[in-house]
Amino acid sequence: MTFEIIMTWVTLLLYAGATAVSAIGVVFSKEKFIRTAVVVATAGLAAQTASLGLRWVRVGHGPYLGFYEVSAALVLFVVATFVVVASRQPRLASAGIGVMPVALLLLGGAMFAQTTEVPMTGKLTSFWLAIHVVFANLAFGAFVISFGLAIAYVVRERSKTGEWARRFGRLPAQDALENLTVSYVLVGFFFWGIMIVTGAIWANEAWGRYWGWDPVETWSLIVWIIYAVYLHLRYTLKWGGERLAWVAICAMPLSLFTLIGIPAVFDTTHAGIGGLGKDL
Amino acid sequence: MGSGRRVWRFLTSPVLAMVLLLWIGVWSIIGSFVPQSDLDPMGVALWAAANPALETVAGTLGLHEAFTSPLFIVPGLFLALCTAACAWQRAGVARRRARSLRDARSDVEPGDETSADFEIVCDPVLDTAAIVERSATTLERLGISSRKGERFVSAVSPWWSVWGTAVFHWALVALIVLIAGGSLARASGQMGVAVKQVKPDRPESYGQLTSGPLHSWDLVDRWIRVDAFDIDYVTGDLHRGPTPTVTVLDGEGNVLASQLVYPNNTLKQGALTIYPVDYGLSATLAMVDDAGAEMQRTTQLVDFAEGNPDGTAPITPLGLAGPDGVLGYQVIVSVPLDERPEGLVACTPEVPAAHVVIVDTGGAAVVDEVIAVDEGVALPTGGELRLLGVDYYARLQMVDDPSIPLLYLAGTISMIGLGVATLARQMVLKAWTLESPEGTRLLVRMRLWRIHSTSRSEIEDELRRALGAAEGSRS
Repeated sequence: MTFEIIMTWVTLLLYAGATAVSAIGVVFSKEKFIRTAVVVATAGLAAQTASLGLRWVRVGHGPYLGFYEVSAALVLFVVATFVVVASRQPRLASAGIGVMPVALLLLGGAMFAQTTEVPMTGKLTSFWLAIHVVFANLAFGAFVISFGLAIAYVVRERSKTGEWARRFGRLPAQDALENLTVSYVLVGFFFWGIMIVTGAIWANEAWGRYWGWDPVETWSLIVWIIYAVYLHLRYTLKWGGERLAWVAICAMPLSLFTLIGIPAVFDTTHAGIGGLGKDL
Repeated sequence: MGSGRRVWRFLTSPVLAMVLLLWIGVWSIIGSFVPQSDLDPMGVALWAAANPALETVAGTLGLHEAFTSPLFIVPGLFLALCTAACAWQRAGVARRRARSLRDARSDVEPGDETSADFEIVCDPVLDTAAIVERSATTLERLGISSRKGERFVSAVSPWWSVWGTAVFHWALVALIVLIAGGSLARASGQMGVAVKQVKPDRPESYGQLTSGPLHSWDLVDRWIRVDAFDIDYVTGDLHRGPTPTVTVLDGEGNVLASQLVYPNNTLKQGALTIYPVDYGLSATLAMVDDAGAEMQRTTQLVDFAEGNPDGTAPITPLGLAGPDGVLGYQVIVSVPLDERPEGLVACTPEVPAAHVVIVDTGGAAVVDEVIAVDEGVALPTGGELRLLGVDYYARLQMVDDPSIPLLYLAGTISMIGLGVATLARQMVLKAWTLESPEGTRLLVRMRLWRIHSTSRSEIEDELRRALGAAEGSRS
């Protein structure tokens, strides 16, 4: 337990370090710092994997239940997605300035909320739980990357003097950056769709109805519709540029609200999420 | 323009699809903040009392039934129509693109100058092989796998890559149609069945029932039996809670399906799915005449009721008619629960008994006795009501919905379509070398229908850089 707590704090410190180093790298156009931020984020990812792995062994189930576990798993997937993207396409590493603060704030918030473990119950024991949650995490990871890329796009677009264009110089050209943002939205939209479909199947198995307009279900659909609007704006109305980037920036917080914020506002049958200070 | 064409253009308008999507999204957001009468009727009353001004608007717009309101259903169906029209268009586009991809794959001959989108006059030190090699490497770096020939490089997506979005949209249409059709053909309700009791799957067996207009009870010929009940079934070190063993029988009494039923382990038999909802107790009673012969047997289902001194109350009281056949009394049967320091225990009592209260039409109690198993209470109409046993009953949620497997299928197909649309590139890129007096030129033809790792301008810029583009290159 002590080692688990230490690893969680190490994770938080490393994510804070990655955020700071990434910001320094972008602001002062230091390529070395941007690359270092990815390395620090990778170290944080390793520490968080260890921390969540230890917790998994201790409580006997994966990070699916309660506000802390759900948030921590989201952070893990966000950072993992960022590290994979930045490793495969180093030119996208600057997006860390948008991605790492989200991971840092989310993990910090989760650590200072209720972290008590929630026992697995018969109602939750289903292989659909893992599938449903993993796709929710994957979708959120993709949405946060699209958010980071869209922020980089807007900052560079608004840089009248060209200074920020120089700072984000290693990022692909604006049109390619826009394409990449769309691609991560599309990937997130796909994973979010799988989350909805698997959730509906599981709800039918567990509750006897595949859709019940529970607030989490309703907001999942709302987020999917918002991203569908984004994709239609792009592909059918041929939107592009800054206004399209703003849609991606505004949509991501709604997906976060759907995944962890709903129980704080509404009564929901998705009690496993926990909510801010609420557990099963 | 003909009216048919005008309607078609209207239906396939991207603006209309956008407006409908936004309407459904905004309506859903508002609906999520207003209590819904089917989910939380008490919440509706409290909200109405707390927000009288908003309640006027919410009541007028039907926001307490937001997701069955015409303001939601009609745009939803209209969106399905638009999606179908859009899917039809997309299928046409996919067919044309698939043909282009097939042609591009089979065509190994380099094109002529007129078919190129741009050309690069390469660095004179590069020979044809080096140009091909560098072009392929550049494309690879941009995330495009290519095929190399002696004088050309090509990257052509497989034919199926262009079908993803059409398949996805058709599957969405199918989903909407199935959801609408399923709600018309679906029967869903709760049935209480005591242990060892058999009930026909007919409307009269249900406590609550919602049956769509297309659901035909004439086609249903089956019986439901509860064989056993485990108050705390444990499997895999997990407490699954109160668990009945349920059997479905056909009209002739043959077993169709039988299993333990608990959350995530539902019983499925054809279109029927059975879920456990709750449980209570049952008292099996026999009416015997003065000679001791059994005239009638009945099973009284009782629910746990906190406010009742016995801890239970019957779901519906029994009626007792006199010799003239006129209903003269109500028989209220409850089962007194065992009491522990922490309160009443919600399970069968150690010494099973029934509390029988018989009231006349004026509401006066004429009998009020507690009887043990095999004991009886004298009825005011003559004869005796005897307790045969006390056991559990399972309240089962029964859903007969033939659309469910089709919904699963449509959902799966939609995700496969979306997966292809998301992950597969849709592109044709052909680059070939041509000798000319000003040097070796690379001519490039591109059709980038959907590619996200890069862009048209980036490909052009990177190829120019890699090949040391000289004067005379053109876009």
